[in-house]
Amino acid sequence: MAEKEFWRWKEYNWHDESTDWNGCDTITAGVDVGSVSSQAVIMVDGKLYAFASTRTGSDSPESAHKAMKWALEDTGMTLDDIHYKVGTGYGRVNVPFADRAITEIACHARGGNHMYGSSVRTILDMGGQDCKAIHCDERGKVTNFLMNDKCAAGTGRGMEVFADLLSVPIEDIGDLSFQVEKEPPPVSSTCVVFAKSEASGLLRKGWPKNKVIAAYCNAMAHRVVSLLERIGVEKDFAITGGIGKNMGVVKRIEGELGIEALKTNSDTQIAGALGGALFGKALLEKSRKK
Amino acid sequence: MFTQFQEWYDKRHEYAKDWKQRTGGKVMGCFCSYVPEEMLVAGNILPVRILGSHEPQNVTEPYIFGMYCPFCRDVLAQGLKGRYDYLDGITLSQSCIHLRQSYVAWREHVGVPFDYYLYMPNKVQARAATPYLKSELVKYKAHIEEINGRELTDADLDAGIAAVNRNRELMHKVYEFRKGDTPKLTGLEAMYMTVSSTWIDKEEHSAEIEKVLEQLPDRQVTRDTGARLMLVGSEDDDVSFIDMIESVGATVVVDDHCTGTRYFWNSVVPDDDRLMAIADRYVKRPPCPTKDWEERWRFPHILELCKNFDVQGAVIIQQKFCDPHECDIMPLREAFVKSDIPSLFLEFDVTVPIGQFKVRVEAFLEMIGSEDLF
Repeated sequence: MAEKEFWRWKEYNWHDESTDWNGCDTITAGVDVGSVSSQAVIMVDGKLYAFASTRTGSDSPESAHKAMKWALEDTGMTLDDIHYKVGTGYGRVNVPFADRAITEIACHARGGNHMYGSSVRTILDMGGQDCKAIHCDERGKVTNFLMNDKCAAGTGRGMEVFADLLSVPIEDIGDLSFQVEKEPPPVSSTCVVFAKSEASGLLRKGWPKNKVIAAYCNAMAHRVVSLLERIGVEKDFAITGGIGKNMGVVKRIEGELGIEALKTNSDTQIAGALGGALFGKALLEKSRKK
Repeated sequence: MFTQFQEWYDKRHEYAKDWKQRTGGKVMGCFCSYVPEEMLVAGNILPVRILGSHEPQNVTEPYIFGMYCPFCRDVLAQGLKGRYDYLDGITLSQSCIHLRQSYVAWREHVGVPFDYYLYMPNKVQARAATPYLKSELVKYKAHIEEINGRELTDADLDAGIAAVNRNRELMHKVYEFRKGDTPKLTGLEAMYMTVSSTWIDKEEHSAEIEKVLEQLPDRQVTRDTGARLMLVGSEDDDVSFIDMIESVGATVVVDDHCTGTRYFWNSVVPDDDRLMAIADRYVKRPPCPTKDWEERWRFPHILELCKNFDVQGAVIIQQKFCDPHECDIMPLREAFVKSDIPSLFLEFDVTVPIGQFKVRVEAFLEMIGSEDLF
């Protein structure tokens, strides 16, 4: 029997059954092919219509197709019905059906602006294998940004490594991290491999899993806060990306910064693809005016 | 049009070996752009700036600290691997501690017939800097005479000064063609030219530039200029990086690197006291941050370049662990902000992570442009 993979988060899709896209003026899509996950978002007349979040495979074009196929599932829409498609993420230039490629930094700023409102000035995108601190204006245009360097510490992939090490489903990590009597000091925040090695030592010492999880969430928060502090946090502050759903990390970031991140009912993981779809709408409308 | 410079860049060792054979001259490895090339040229010695090869290596660990900059380690690796085995001598003109360690380790563990540590003053802003450097150049002249076994005459020095000045002035002329709305050359082409000038015989290099200058005015440029960028910071001869930048919608129109403008921007003003004139040139040249104190001479110079070349954004490059440049980055970025010039900071290692940097550069270009997205 295959060993259980605790890191393996659930792929999902959604579409708005109450909207009839037939006859709509603008249908645009953003496809964010990230290093760990791929998302596709479809917007109809500027409103979120459908999205999907899937795992990225070894082949970027295939991952883009897979995400888009899932987003289109049960909608009756085909790829050809979409008027403008934007590719973003690490695989942005390998989205075969994209009309334009735009960086995930610009797309997360635009998507975050749409998701959280025009008051957002600082966005922390916690992606699969990198982290970005982004400043943006009221339109969601990037005014400054910083990315982490050459290391998976403070990223989604780091959290997946810990889920497997501790045999805890990745979706449960946030809640479990709060089930400690006292907040433990962070494990190494400079390298996932070092952190994993340190955590193994703590487990051998008899630390309960929850405490080790708390120590890693603490380390992740510490890591990304140091990135944020390099660029400065201007209010309002919001978090996008998969880790935005992990309250164990989000709360600790808020604690270190001393400010609360804006809340949303939207899926923070689709912010990049959402930004791509919004840019697609702007580009489509401009092309029609010509 | 710039293919000869590229060939020289790619085949630097072959060129130097061939030069040595056909001229019978000696070759001097230079550890820094502060080595007074005029004096070497005067003595029919080919100055060759020692640069890295941008390849991962595992030979320097016993000889240089891991937290010394990757450029210095890469430079030393070239010596330890025997790639500069044709050198007759090496000269370090004092700049930073890291490069000094490369020089010392080279002297101790690679070995060359001649080596010289030139005490280039760090405080170039001191009143005594020029006369002090002149006194050091007197000793360096004696060293060159020892290598050659003959006197370095005033006529030799005049010829050396003239050859190097001519090369600098010609490169200036080429840089003028980067100023217009449509630059006639790319940053990559300019880099091939300036970097190769640090090891090619000045007369040959100048002759090639003159050929280019004949053709440049009529050159039809078909590529979009895109955003006009400046590259600024530590030593940078990384052609793959500048090529990447110019492949995503930008043109590098000017630089402030010791393999670029800092190397050639000012000339020796001829004077009867030749060594004083040379000393004055090196003291007053656009400074390396190791020497740029207490006042900051660099920043007004850099901002002036931005103005003259109509720069829209600056990419600041720092060799990892390069302390002098690291110390300059915060005030430099502030200076850019005050002049409304957005900047992007990137840290270089021996090899450049092109994919990661591409995201940053593209996002930077979107930040300073891309109004069509809104």
